[in-house]
Formats: sequence, C-alpha cells, structure tokens
Amino acid sequence: MTYAGNASARPSTGAMASDDEGATDVAPRASLMAVAVALARREFTRFIRQPHRVMGSIGQPLIFWVLLGAGLTPSFSAPGMEGMSYLEYFYPGVLMMMILFASVFASITIIEDRDQGFLQGVLVAPVSRLGIVMGKVGGASLVALFQAGILLIAAPFIGLAPGIGGWILLALTLVVVSLGFTGLGFLFAWGMKSTAGFHAMMMVIMMPMWVLSGAFFPIAGVPGWLYWIMILNPVTHGMTILRAPFYDDPLTLLGTGDYLLALAIVVASVALCLALAAHRVGRREAGITVPGS
Amino acid sequence: MIRIEDLTHVYAGGRRQPARTAVSDLTLHIPDGRFTILSGPNGSGKSTLFRILCGLARPSRGRVFIGGHDILRDSAAARALTGVVFQSPAVDKHLSVHENLAIHAALHGLRGAAFRSRLDEAMAWTDLSGRLGDRVETLSGGLSRQVELAKCLLTRPRLLLLDEPTTGLDPASRRGFLNALRSLRQDLGMTVLMTSHIFSEAEDVDSVAIMANGRLLAHDSPQALRERLNGDVLVIDSPEPDTLAAKLKDDLGVTAMRHGDDLRIDEAPDNDAVALLERVLTDYRALVRGITVKRPALEDVFVHVTAEARAEVALAASDQQENAA
Repeated sequence: MTYAGNASARPSTGAMASDDEGATDVAPRASLMAVAVALARREFTRFIRQPHRVMGSIGQPLIFWVLLGAGLTPSFSAPGMEGMSYLEYFYPGVLMMMILFASVFASITIIEDRDQGFLQGVLVAPVSRLGIVMGKVGGASLVALFQAGILLIAAPFIGLAPGIGGWILLALTLVVVSLGFTGLGFLFAWGMKSTAGFHAMMMVIMMPMWVLSGAFFPIAGVPGWLYWIMILNPVTHGMTILRAPFYDDPLTLLGTGDYLLALAIVVASVALCLALAAHRVGRREAGITVPGS
Repeated sequence: MIRIEDLTHVYAGGRRQPARTAVSDLTLHIPDGRFTILSGPNGSGKSTLFRILCGLARPSRGRVFIGGHDILRDSAAARALTGVVFQSPAVDKHLSVHENLAIHAALHGLRGAAFRSRLDEAMAWTDLSGRLGDRVETLSGGLSRQVELAKCLLTRPRLLLLDEPTTGLDPASRRGFLNALRSLRQDLGMTVLMTSHIFSEAEDVDSVAIMANGRLLAHDSPQALRERLNGDVLVIDSPEPDTLAAKLKDDLGVTAMRHGDDLRIDEAPDNDAVALLERVLTDYRALVRGITVKRPALEDVFVHVTAEARAEVALAASDQQENAA
C-alpha cells in the first residue's frame, strides 16, 4: 500500500522496455521530497493567484484582532497579567487563528480535488502516500507562514520585540502547529463528499479547539470542567509554545520544563495527525470480503 | 498487458440497502499493444473495474496484473506503467498548462532535460504550443482534454486507461482526440483500454469487451462481434409493441425483443429479414408505424448481448418493488 518513494537512484531505462510475459521494467520514480515540494508549490501558487483569498485570509484575523482587542481591553484583567492589554494578549491567539484558517482552506480543497479533480491523477501516480499528505500540509504551512509574516510586522508596535532567535523559533512554531492543523483537517476532509459537511466539522471541532486554547481567554480562573478540557486540548500547548518566544529568548525557553513539555505534546500530536492522515490516504476503498467460489 | 483473474468486487451495504456486487468473477486478458474498448450499460461495473485497474479500489477477490505486476502486492510498479485519463478533469484549472505538466512530471520523477524533451514531443502533436502559459480554465473543452492526454503521455506509459474521455466533447473535438490517440498509440506502442458508450468509436479498434451486471458478456474483435448476429436486424416501430411481440411469437414463432417502443428481431427465420418484413407488413400493417432492415452495427450487437442482462435487472427491480409494496 504505502512504500518508500525514494527509488529515484534507479537509472533511467530508456522509455520503452520490451516485455512479453515477464514483468515490465519500471521507470525512475520521484522521491518523497520531490513529490511533497511539487504539490506544496502548487498549493502556494493557487493561493497567490486568488487575490480574494489572500485579502480575506489576512483581513479577517486582522479585523478580529483590532476590533476584539480594542473592545475587550478595558475589561481585560487576568490574574498574573496585570499591565497587559488585551490587544497584546490576543495577538498570538490571532496568529493561531490564521494558521487554523489556512489549514481549513487547504483541507477544503482536498474535498474539491479528490474525487472529481486534480488529486485523482496524483493518487494513481506511483508516489508515496506520505508524500501526498506532506505536499498538501506543507503547502498549507507555507500559506500560513506567509500570512503570519504579514501580521508579525505589527508585533513591535504593541511592544513585542523578540530577537532574531525568537523570530526563528516563532517561524518554526508556526510551521509545526500548521502541519498539525492541516493534518487534522486532512483526516476529516479525506472521506467527505461535500465541503458543506466540512464546514460543520470545522465549527464543531476545529473552531472550539482554537477558542479553548488560551488564544481567546487565559486558562487561569476558568471553571474546573473547562480547565480540564483546555488542558487536554493539544492546541492549548501549541498556544503556550507560540506565546513564549515573544517574552523569553529561545535559549531560556529550551531550559524551561513547562515549555519543553508543551513542545513535546505538540510535536507528538502533530506526528500523530500526519501519520493518521498518511494511513488514511493509503487505504483504498475496498470491496467487502467474499468467500472464494 | 492486463490480466484479470476471477475478479469480484462487492460494495458493502448500508443499513437500508443490501451489499451490491459490482463485478463478479470477471476474467479478462488484454495482450500487449491492443486497443480495447470496454463497454456496458450504466451500472454494469465498468467504473468499478476501472477504479480497480487504476489502483483506487481494492477488490473483494481475484487478482489483477499489469505488465506482470500484481496491482495489489506491487502497486507502485503497476502504477508506474500506467497512465490514466479520467472522465472528470484531473488537471488544476487554476494553473497554467505548463505548470500542470510540470507537476505531473515531478510526480513521476521526470525532471530537467528529460522533462523538456518530453514536453517538446507533446507540443508536436497537441495544439497547445502557443498556450503553455495559459491557465487551463481558459482553454476549450477539446484543448483541456488534450492537456490531460499530454500529461499522461509525458511519462510514456505502457498502458493507457481512459474513462469515457470524450464525454462532453463536440463531434469534431471528439474525432480530433481519437485520431491523436490512435496515432500516438501506434507511435508509442501502447496498450489502450478505454471505456465508452459511443460505438462509432469502437468500429476500428482491436477488440471490444462488453460488460453487464458485473460480468463479461463478450470480448472479441468488432468484426467477430458483428458476425454474432448472422444476417440482418429487423426493427419495427409499433404503437403496441407488446401486442405485436406476442402475435409474432404465436403466429410466426419469432422472438422479438422490446427496446423502448421498438421491437428488434435479431434472428429472422432463414436469416431473411426482408422476407420477414414483407410478412409483417402483410399481416400486421395496423401494428406497424415504421419498419427497417439494417446491417448489424456494433451497437446492435451491444443491444443484443446485453438484452438478457437488462431483463434480469428489470426483473430484480420489479421484485424489489413488490417486496417493498
């Protein structure tokens, strides 16, 4: 079913190998990386060619941030965060929202592509299933990084100024988290026939994961039942590692137990999502088993 | 090139519907270099068979070999030999022709100079050379089909699978597409399997396979298939086809098959359809609105071969309705 796609070292055997009854020779194959890069580039090209999508995906979180930030700042007073405006508190949350939306968009295209479109041709190509997932997910991460990059320009204006190391850590975090979100979206989207169904899934599962991640309100002081939901939500830990580089330099963070624990949880969740997605893609629609005649 | 052995595919049933057998015990062997048309009424299992051949579905039972590679055990090798043109477009219409071709090449490990030379080849036979930079959505239906075909041929597949590739094309584009396909097949020495309903496409291929109800009913050259209907076919357009069919059966011992409002008689007594025509006109003039004798075309063979299967389905459907009522 799945197989390692890195057989590209095989020499080209001319185009036409003759065959009669024996197995026919097989041409060289693309590596996992080449497949992922080709597909990811397509995702990004599509994104850039749709100006409305670019505008919408940047504008919406920006509007959320400015309006909610301005409106909620007077009433925002979380324990232990005295002196922090809501605009500042919400800023990493908006970054997370951008990643979420980039992933959602990418996942929706899976549904459009799969049975009636572009992905049909990819699925019958001799490429590894993980390569297909990585292409989609990698493309979505690129898009997310592009959007977040624009929003990151605003950081210094609200007093958030990480150093070079901090910026790099931020970028890496954005990529990792976005791989996870798209992997999750991929899992849901793969079996779906309509994009409408995916919207429902997004509102019921993915949106609440974002709301209950500490992006929108701090975890400190919430009722007990909500506290546990938030602690069990991997996005909460994603929020932790996304927020941290704005306040501490990377070397300090890598020596902090809480940060490392959150990082480990995030990496494990992302790896799980990607593995499950690759497995899902590798599973062919199968007929039910019938006894031999 | 393709060897299918005892292939069965059963779709799992849901709560309200029983499991459905789409392909049952199908064995089919297509030698290297053949151009074969796979035909069958809607719901005959063609599409399922097609999905299995492309490796998109895993059959319930049976084995399939492509170029000697088992498509279940060694699917990568089988996929590498195969090019597939789907019924619905499998190109990204937001990307340019060149970008689409480049992605496909990358997926097959074709890069650099090798890709460029294949691209030049493709430009030689398509009408796309001036439009490489254009987005696929701006191309006409015929041209975007050419992109699909060019895309598949970049990798020089030994086997080309096409699923009703000419659906939605006007007659001129369809002819253009088929002519290109035919000459490329000869140049590249490919084996081609194409599903189609359009029998004019099938008249000059190497073989035609006809499926119905998941079974292979016939697989032969068009010539041999036409010879199955010895003699001519008599087609009667009747205001009361059932009455007329009953009379023909009782009075003349002739079996007529109903097909819409038409009655078809494939085997006239003594193979003399003209004599039968005279007889029908003399005896049942009131029941005849129009009457034709024609040489059997492939389409007639198809109707003849699948008539029985169609009747089975109709019977099963009426049984189901009775059960439901």
